Amino acid sequence: MGAAASLANSTAASAAAAERKPARFALARRTILTPVLLSLLLLAIALITVMTGSRPFNQTVIDVFVRVILVVGLYIFIGNSGVLSFGHIGFTCLGAYAAAWLTINPMMKRGSLPGLPEWLLATRLPYWQSAVLAALFAALAALIFGRVLMRLSGIAASIATFAMLAMINTVYSNWESVTGATSSVVGIPIVRTIWPYLIGAVVAVFIAWAHAISRSGLALRAARDEPTAAAASGVDIPRERLVAFVVSGAIMGLGGALMAHSIGVVTPDTFYLGLTFITLSMLVVGGMGSLSGGVVGVVLLSALIQGLRWLEAGVSLGESTFALPKGFRK
Amino acid sequence: MTYKMRIVATALASMSFAYPAMADDKTIVIGFATAESGFMEAYDKPAQEAAMIRIDEINAAGGLLGKQIKVVKADTKSDRAEGAKAGLSVLDQGADLVVVSCDYDFGSPAALAAEDAGRISFFLCAESVKAGIQGVGPHSFSASVLAAVQGATMAEWAFKEKGAKDFYRLLDTWTAYNKGICDGFDWMMPKLEAQGAKLVGDDTFKNEDASIAAQITRIKSLPKEPDAIMLCTMMPGAVSAIKQLRAAGINSMILNGSGVDGSYWLSAVPDLTNFYVPVQGSIYGDDPNPAVLKFNATYKEKTGADPSSQYVFPGYVMVEVWAKAVERAGTTDADAVVAELEKMKDEPTLFGPRTFTPELHHQNQTRYLIVETKAGKPGVVGNWTISEPVPMDALLK
Repeated sequence: MGAAASLANSTAASAAAAERKPARFALARRTILTPVLLSLLLLAIALITVMTGSRPFNQTVIDVFVRVILVVGLYIFIGNSGVLSFGHIGFTCLGAYAAAWLTINPMMKRGSLPGLPEWLLATRLPYWQSAVLAALFAALAALIFGRVLMRLSGIAASIATFAMLAMINTVYSNWESVTGATSSVVGIPIVRTIWPYLIGAVVAVFIAWAHAISRSGLALRAARDEPTAAAASGVDIPRERLVAFVVSGAIMGLGGALMAHSIGVVTPDTFYLGLTFITLSMLVVGGMGSLSGGVVGVVLLSALIQGLRWLEAGVSLGESTFALPKGFRK
Repeated sequence: MTYKMRIVATALASMSFAYPAMADDKTIVIGFATAESGFMEAYDKPAQEAAMIRIDEINAAGGLLGKQIKVVKADTKSDRAEGAKAGLSVLDQGADLVVVSCDYDFGSPAALAAEDAGRISFFLCAESVKAGIQGVGPHSFSASVLAAVQGATMAEWAFKEKGAKDFYRLLDTWTAYNKGICDGFDWMMPKLEAQGAKLVGDDTFKNEDASIAAQITRIKSLPKEPDAIMLCTMMPGAVSAIKQLRAAGINSMILNGSGVDGSYWLSAVPDLTNFYVPVQGSIYGDDPNPAVLKFNATYKEKTGADPSSQYVFPGYVMVEVWAKAVERAGTTDADAVVAELEKMKDEPTLFGPRTFTPELHHQNQTRYLIVETKAGKPGVVGNWTISEPVPMDALLK
């Protein structure tokens, strides 16, 4: 009798659970509007840019799209985990140099970067393939660093990521035969059409969205808001953080590769404090906790910076790129 | 609300950028994609003023190919990404010649943009071999002289003219420019050693080092003070290094690159003596060429100050050689002008002869004036042209 009752009970419980369990992809359906709208916004910006036909403006918008990728990359980790990372621009550096290694004419590479392994010296890939590989390379680095760093939390984690940035920068500034040390690495094919950058930004936005609504992303957000409760519910916090760290590392690497292709020159000091703080402030201004915040933050701050530049055109006040975000950070 | 603001901002942005390309048949356009703000301004601005002097002279004499030269500018803000935009911006305004920043790292994004568009780019005063074919492409040139030539010139001159036998090499590893000077010195040294000179030691330091006491100790512990120290460094660390060498009682000749030219810092090392710098022209009022003195006077009249260092001069040379090539080609078409530039062999300019070849758009051998600072007073004491050009493999090291 008792057994039958408990059986009936458990069937009722599982039926109730099934009732409460949302349909497959319900969350995706409810939230897909965000990435779609953001992509449409970026597309609109791209279309307006193409219509103006101005090359410097085109370059400005390419810059904005690259920043969108970087800030979305930051959001994937910082936004979902709540841990402020100062080290992500290190992955951008890895991505940019990986793109350089893969796309520079082998003849030039032999001269300027003789320390590369033979197979890499002989390789020359189209830019989009190199961008994908650069993203994977950055993700691999993120996996290795993340295994160690993700055990930390709070301010200790932030400081450790900063140390990682400094390490990457020091290695890349001094490894003469592989990175060219502090001198510029040249010969990276320049891509001046806006579409690859738009595609990159849209892909980044969709990956960020998909990660945020995935099981791992939701668990991570739970851990951000209530670490103790999340851990008690079976969330393995270091593991979920590691997943986000690797995904965001890949996006940062993609951003770095595209950045390299947008200017055609890479140097280690491009990927250091200046870029770290401007991208962080863009994320903070837009709102750290949301994807739209990241994208809107980039667009707003870029528009503001550009506006100020036009205003001061001709009159030089020594205004520089980072003077502005410093004010915002305070 | 934010959406609306953004749309308005974007629309405004697109309007203000949608200016028409202004190239027309009545003018020739030179576009300056150089730094008008930030730290590079200190290097770009003087050379640009010198370029303007030559442009004004040409315009006053009736222009180039019968057309007036028009100048358009875009500020790179001493930033690489802005540099690329500045390059594209002057190209959109119809620039036939794109002038880019002094330094290779900061000038190359704009130069690459020009190369992409099939236009000629000129680095105002970059001294790396990359500033040209090797680092940008076949339409890119530099108006200055390779850093390696400076090191080689000083070594050979000191040996042949001053009888220096024992050399010591002290390299500041901070920039490619510093390394370039020492690369030239390293290439020249074996040739001099075959004739009796000797490299008695070498050492490195970093520009930011507050003290080079360790390096000085090693020089002091040599059995005999070296005759000459090749000091491959640049501002701001150079002053401190020189001061410390002299304070330690080392009285050897100090040989330098052109980067330390100028009298603005000499008060920091009172009564400096036995100190030598190679320059393309003298700013001290004693240049052997009266035309240079005239140029210096014009420069003072235009800007209100004497040239601060020899890095003013390449700007003038740049417009001089480019305009000559345009005259000879009879067009501003990039390929035709490049072909004319590459025909120049020891082309006389106000600041020494210039040669361009299809392999090298830079100077690997040219005349340098030697400036000696004696009791704190700099002045020209001679000139030197290295016996053979610095070869490509020494430059690409």
